[in-house]
Amino acid sequence: MNASDGFPPEWRERWHVAHGRIDQAGYGDLVADAYRRAGPALAAEVGPAFAIRLAATISNVAIRSGRLAASLVPQAARTASRHFDEAALNSWAAAVEDVARRAPEAVLALLENTGRLAQALALPDFIAFVRMGLHLGDKDAGRRRAFFALESGEAIRLVEGRGADGGLAGLRHGLGLYLNALWGLAPPIAEAPPDAPDQMRRRPGFGGGGVRLPAAFAGFEDGEAKLLYRAAVAHIGAHHRFTREKFPATGLKPLQIALVSLIEDARVERLAARTMPGLAALWRRFHVARPEGPPIAIALMARLSRALADPDYADPHGWVEKGRALFAEAVRENIGDQQLSRRVGGLLGNDIGQMRLQFDARAYVVQPAYRDDNMGIWDFGPDDSQAPVEIEAMLEGARIEQQAGDDGRREEGEDGDTASGRLAEAQDEDGLLVARYPEYDHVTGRYRPEWCRVREMPGGIGAPRVASALGEARSDIVERLSTLIKASRISRQQRVRGQTEGEFLDMDASIAAMIARRAGEVPDTRVYGRYERRSRDMSVLVLIDASRSTTERVRGSQGSVLEMERLSTALLARAMTDVGDPFAIAAFCSNGREDVRYVRVKDFDRPFDRFAMARLAGLAGDYSTRLGAVIRHAGRDLRRQRSYRRLLLVVTDGEPSDIDVDDRRYLVEDARMAVHELGREGIDTFCVALDCDADSYAQRIFGPRGATVIDTIDRLDRLLPAVYLRLRS
Amino acid sequence: MTNLDAYRISSEPFYRPVESEIALFEAAHKSRMPVMLKGPTGCGKTRFVEHMAWRLGKPLITVSCHEDMTASDLVGRYLLDTDGTVWHDGPLTLAVREGAICYLDEIVEARQDTTVVIHSLTDDRRILPLEKKNEVVRAHPDFQVVISYNPGYQSVLKDLKESTKQRFGAIAFGYPSPDIEAEIVAREAGIDRRTAEVLVRIAERSRNLKGQGLEEGASTRMLINAGLLVAAGIAIEAACQVAMVVPITDDPDLRDALTGAIAACL
Repeated sequence: MNASDGFPPEWRERWHVAHGRIDQAGYGDLVADAYRRAGPALAAEVGPAFAIRLAATISNVAIRSGRLAASLVPQAARTASRHFDEAALNSWAAAVEDVARRAPEAVLALLENTGRLAQALALPDFIAFVRMGLHLGDKDAGRRRAFFALESGEAIRLVEGRGADGGLAGLRHGLGLYLNALWGLAPPIAEAPPDAPDQMRRRPGFGGGGVRLPAAFAGFEDGEAKLLYRAAVAHIGAHHRFTREKFPATGLKPLQIALVSLIEDARVERLAARTMPGLAALWRRFHVARPEGPPIAIALMARLSRALADPDYADPHGWVEKGRALFAEAVRENIGDQQLSRRVGGLLGNDIGQMRLQFDARAYVVQPAYRDDNMGIWDFGPDDSQAPVEIEAMLEGARIEQQAGDDGRREEGEDGDTASGRLAEAQDEDGLLVARYPEYDHVTGRYRPEWCRVREMPGGIGAPRVASALGEARSDIVERLSTLIKASRISRQQRVRGQTEGEFLDMDASIAAMIARRAGEVPDTRVYGRYERRSRDMSVLVLIDASRSTTERVRGSQGSVLEMERLSTALLARAMTDVGDPFAIAAFCSNGREDVRYVRVKDFDRPFDRFAMARLAGLAGDYSTRLGAVIRHAGRDLRRQRSYRRLLLVVTDGEPSDIDVDDRRYLVEDARMAVHELGREGIDTFCVALDCDADSYAQRIFGPRGATVIDTIDRLDRLLPAVYLRLRS
Repeated sequence: MTNLDAYRISSEPFYRPVESEIALFEAAHKSRMPVMLKGPTGCGKTRFVEHMAWRLGKPLITVSCHEDMTASDLVGRYLLDTDGTVWHDGPLTLAVREGAICYLDEIVEARQDTTVVIHSLTDDRRILPLEKKNEVVRAHPDFQVVISYNPGYQSVLKDLKESTKQRFGAIAFGYPSPDIEAEIVAREAGIDRRTAEVLVRIAERSRNLKGQGLEEGASTRMLINAGLLVAAGIAIEAACQVAMVVPITDDPDLRDALTGAIAACL
């Protein structure tokens, strides 16, 4: 085969140069042959430019990850080309190079899985996948490799969670609302991890404050799957309401546990159907056990479940009928008594034993599919190695997945170059010297030029738990806030009166003018009015004090100042994200004038994503408060914003101070000067000071209308958004 | 003299007391104490005022407050005719002169500078200065101010001034307990008690979603609307859609969840 086939004549020379370079680079025949073979095909299928460009990727991979990996690149590119177009392939190649650079040992695994990944993920999701892999296994090469080899739970979930209709991903929000509507419960709903035991992946479960649902129910169509999920959460809600206490499991055999659970399931469903009869019909449709087949224990139990749920169902088997009779009698006596389940279940268990029927606990899966695995209603005693831990781990995983999904969505519509550009940008997070600022000396009345050095620090990454808590806490407040901000933004038309021209007569002004005329005075001619829509956009930079003092607990409140600052900022940020207002978040502290630290938590042009939340969660309080320099530095960012209003919102807990300053007034006066500087450029400042004796300095710095002082930190989460709204309107 | 007969309520408006609100209001009325009725929309505040006005035999002048309302809309203004200017009393002034209950509905909707005109009426002065007319109107002994106030979602942006709030005694309203609510719905909509109970249960489901995307759950008023549709021969599911789901949300997930919850209650 001619090595140039597939290349248009004018590209052939360049192709020769490209593969000649690989041939002679010393990567070995394997690599060179692979490229030479795949090149013309790629040129024909994708385009000659990409085929030639791939040489750079091969080189990169060969140098960092070895020949074997490099030899896979051409074939992987062909595989990927079945799903990606040329622009996407360029980003794909850039992503592969990026992985080679940052996780050389993982490239092989990534390339081997190209087919699966390209099929399951659109390009933005692929980029998100790679980013997440690099981020998760930051310091752990083994974990990174497992991720790209699609062996870790996070990776599988990311790949499998896409595309499947009727799966939990698309229904989760609606299910949460449904559960809340029925039972007034709003627990987090998580997906069962892909690496969990089979039973757990196939059945719902609850415990530890959360609800776990299978990623998908196999064998159910879209509409049916939705009803099944609804049946599942409705059932779990019924347990929450009616299973008052956990059953002690000590001393019980698996069969007994299963039977007591079965009776308890029927009991709570019976109770639930008293107020919501529609639920009984919903549950009934999934009971499909039939009175035929061999009388094995598992089948009989499914039949009993159906007999208890469906009054029209008749079963010839004596045990099933006995179960139904026992249950009916116990329910007549006192359905509210949880112990009836224990009693009836125990009796039925004995019968199974006497019938010498085998019960294989390992193979047992609760029937029908909507019912939970019942781990949530049993107390396994102190050596409980089961539910709660697993559920915590699950919730953790689910949140990460959700956020990763968000990332992917946000990058849709951007071209591939930007996406991979960001990929590279996320990595260099060294602290770097950014700027020097003058400081104002109130004694001499002059600026000290280039006095402070502000460094932008990378900032720590907080624990994922804390970060995701920030992303989920107080959804009710966020919801309300978004509504309010929207309302204030798309402001209603306002009637402006007393105008010299306008679309209607201002009645009061007209009468006044008429009266004036009759009285022989000169009437005011501003007798018109008009409707105006005043919509103002506003950019906000929230500047958080992260000095040492913020880590202290405040008298009579639950957490430290910093924790509250984080929470409040997160709430505000989520509301602003919902509404689409441009905003940025930064934190600061200082250690002398040469070491003022400024941490960018979120920039104006970046989304408030899990990275931003992780940085917010990672803020640690240290050092002092040199306010003026950071106000100037933050002002630089705000100045570039093109909004109608620009606002710097400072949250601080104490008077400005630093280790190299003795004069208490010095930093206060400097900060005051910095505020004036911003004011001259049309940037508003506002300060929320958390301090009992903050009156003195906060008002001095920010002016009497530019600061509010609160003495209890607990109110900050409500107050900060309120301040924002008030400043907005 | 203007005749207030048009403002008198001739037949008893149905009101089902929930707690001791009737006694409380009557006591407040004895001293003509200004009363604030707090509660979510559609829980019966306006009906309660009408009922009390009827019970006390007082005329009731209702003003629905809105953002564009000015003080002159309440107090009155000069208008012109061929002979010159003529003063026309506003609804508040009318109530003050003639001794009616003046009910300012949704007072937070009005701008704060408008609402201060009631200040001099709501303390022991009980006068209304008509600045433009250069007159001070002393309140008729029967005059009483009642305002309604929904402490719901608007309260951050729109709130009463502290100085306004502190002039009022307040009675808090909520949705009645399921039993009473079913009784009210059955009676107002003319449907049987069982259907009314189902409607109330559906309403509870929707109230669970308050704050989760719904500003407020379905109100008693909505339930009555649903009941009226049922009484007119509409199937209960469709009636709930029309009266209780579609009006309150446009979010498809929420509608879906509500629809599911309705199905669960039937």
